[in-house]
Amino acid sequence: MSDQAAFTLTIDQNKYLPLDGREVHAILTVGSTGGLTTQAVPAEAAEVIIVDTSGSMSGSKIREARQAAVTAVQTLRDGVYFSVVSGTGSAKVVYPSGRTLSLVQANPATRAEAAKAVDRLLSYGGTAMGEWLKLAGHLLSTRPQAIKHALLMTDGQNNERADVFASVLSAWSGKFVCDCLGIGADWAPAELRKVAEAMLGTFDYVRDQGDLPEYFRRLTQASMSKTVADLSLRVWVPQAARLMFVKQVDPVLLDLTGKRADVNPLTGDYPTGSWGAEERKYHICVEVPPGQIGQEIRAGWVKLVHPDTQDVLASGNVLAQWTDDLALSTQINGNVAHYTGQAELHDLIQDGLSARAMGDVETATARLAKARDLAGASGREDTAKLLDRVVEVDPATGTARLRKNVDKEDTIELDTGSVRTSRLRREES
Amino acid sequence: MTDPQTGQHDAPGAACPVCQASVLEGDVYCEACGHALGSPVCAFCDAAAVDPEGYCERCGLRQPTDRDHAEIVLVGGAAAVTDRGLRRSRNEDAMALLASGGATVTVVCDGVGSSPRADEASEVAVETAAAALARGLSSEEAFDLAGRAVSKLATSVHDAPACTYVSAVVEPGRVTLGWAGDSRAYWMPDGTPLTTDDAVPTGEITAWLGADAVGVTLNVRTFTPRGPGHLLVCSDGLWRYLDGYAFPRAGSPLDLAREMLRHALDSGGQDNVTIVVIPLGEAHE
Ligand SMILES: [Zn+2]
Ligand SMILES: [Zn+2]
Repeated sequence: MSDQAAFTLTIDQNKYLPLDGREVHAILTVGSTGGLTTQAVPAEAAEVIIVDTSGSMSGSKIREARQAAVTAVQTLRDGVYFSVVSGTGSAKVVYPSGRTLSLVQANPATRAEAAKAVDRLLSYGGTAMGEWLKLAGHLLSTRPQAIKHALLMTDGQNNERADVFASVLSAWSGKFVCDCLGIGADWAPAELRKVAEAMLGTFDYVRDQGDLPEYFRRLTQASMSKTVADLSLRVWVPQAARLMFVKQVDPVLLDLTGKRADVNPLTGDYPTGSWGAEERKYHICVEVPPGQIGQEIRAGWVKLVHPDTQDVLASGNVLAQWTDDLALSTQINGNVAHYTGQAELHDLIQDGLSARAMGDVETATARLAKARDLAGASGREDTAKLLDRVVEVDPATGTARLRKNVDKEDTIELDTGSVRTSRLRREES
Repeated sequence: MTDPQTGQHDAPGAACPVCQASVLEGDVYCEACGHALGSPVCAFCDAAAVDPEGYCERCGLRQPTDRDHAEIVLVGGAAAVTDRGLRRSRNEDAMALLASGGATVTVVCDGVGSSPRADEASEVAVETAAAALARGLSSEEAFDLAGRAVSKLATSVHDAPACTYVSAVVEPGRVTLGWAGDSRAYWMPDGTPLTTDDAVPTGEITAWLGADAVGVTLNVRTFTPRGPGHLLVCSDGLWRYLDGYAFPRAGSPLDLAREMLRHALDSGGQDNVTIVVIPLGEAHE
């Protein structure tokens, strides 16, 4: 497979279980060289830029969105197949024009035409995000071999029925990756979180409009740098075991557990989307049947596969061994503990913010104060700073209380940023 | 089910042991999951599903290996047992016991836990030294050859597999012991130690075989058995449990070795256990 990127899969865990131990945790690190050195021709790429032009986007928001979309268009690499879609109560292709659904290859002329089309966008009408994603999906499907990506710019307000929206997401999940950008200070992260989770993408907020072009350039370049499409983590567990969860934990948290596609009764595929030269970490947890002292079990057999060709690009074993030696079984694996903490921090922030929004001051205070503690301890300085603006902890007494007059943008940034994780700091030796 | 035309039964085992999909006779791989059909049978769940790495593809359990537990018995009665113990994931002890001419030769090596691939070190040391002793080479020569073989396993001094060493050559009226490290020999049944460890008081050994061993020489002791009894050669997986232990007196050397193994496992089985029992001194009667 000389045209393939090289992949590595390493497993970090403490395999020793106490005699009554059932839960096996491991952090998988998957790395890719991106294949740029071995690949003569870069993989075909397809990109749909979706701009929310609904009525709620009027005024400065639509200007902001237009500027961002033009930047995205200008960042497209020559040869990338692309299109621009505007979204209201329905979805419309604004570039390229023409009757049939198709994408056009980027070059200086098509980029200039697309930018001109974006500049004419006005805001009006309703919001049906599912319709926009559906159209993007159909457009991307015209390039079946391509690495497919969409960028969605919106204020996050969706007027679709929740079940309709959910069914669109599940129908298109795994078919393309969609990154979302929140526009305006009053946008709602909840809907975009659903999109990012279903479509294996990110959702983000750029507070300073001046940073928008640069942020967008980064995002587009990241998606354009993908060279290997649609890989899955194929996880086998023993017949009597239970796979409790599969989560991406680095660079951002993404729970893949519900995205399982059964391969056989013992094995399931979990989509990971496209890959460039990058490294990601996954946390898996397996509940194994009770074992005997000294016995060793393969609790998980993990392979990175091309689900279409069944090619295995990398693989590794998650092991467990029962021991009555407490010195072995109580050893905490640094990475497992760190990413467990990062997931807990995410949950505390989410619970705390929604309790706060519902007026449950007691719960909000407790959760956010604990989050502040955890953020400080795990090297999340930015998150700690944002939490300090929402909750106040008396350093002497430890008493916490919610701050009054909190900037809405601070809570949005806290909300969207909670999926990001830090790396475990290496101990100084 | 019986086919009325041919009278043949649908083979009841014609299902993949891993995914349960039906497979055809003569298939090499399961069409559904790719499992290699005709794999070795799992010692725990009976599925023909043990993969080349030694794990069952159905229940996941690692299969016991030949090294996890092994016994050797010679025609003259000498016997040896080695066992993984209860706490270690593999057996890094290795043993040899063989008859050569009028002599009985045994070598026991214990892989040094802090070194890499210690199981390979002990295995190659035992094979090399036992072959040399059987050819009639001296204890020192056999030790030297074993040392070179173990050193060759290293890719650098920081990646140097290592093991301890004890050998015994039992000839009529004469026993020659050689050792380096903390594997031992005892006189049974009274339990008199016949070797002295190369170790500091805290237990760390000061002599071993391996590329990172410096200036190690073999301790050699030759003696004539004074009366009937047994020579016990063992790794620390047994002798750590010998304080105040009443050695067994009755039974064949294999019975004695098994009983001592049981004692080590009952006492915790912290380490790999290797026990060699060679009858001595009958000729004095
Ligand atoms: Zn099968
Ligand atoms: Zn099995």
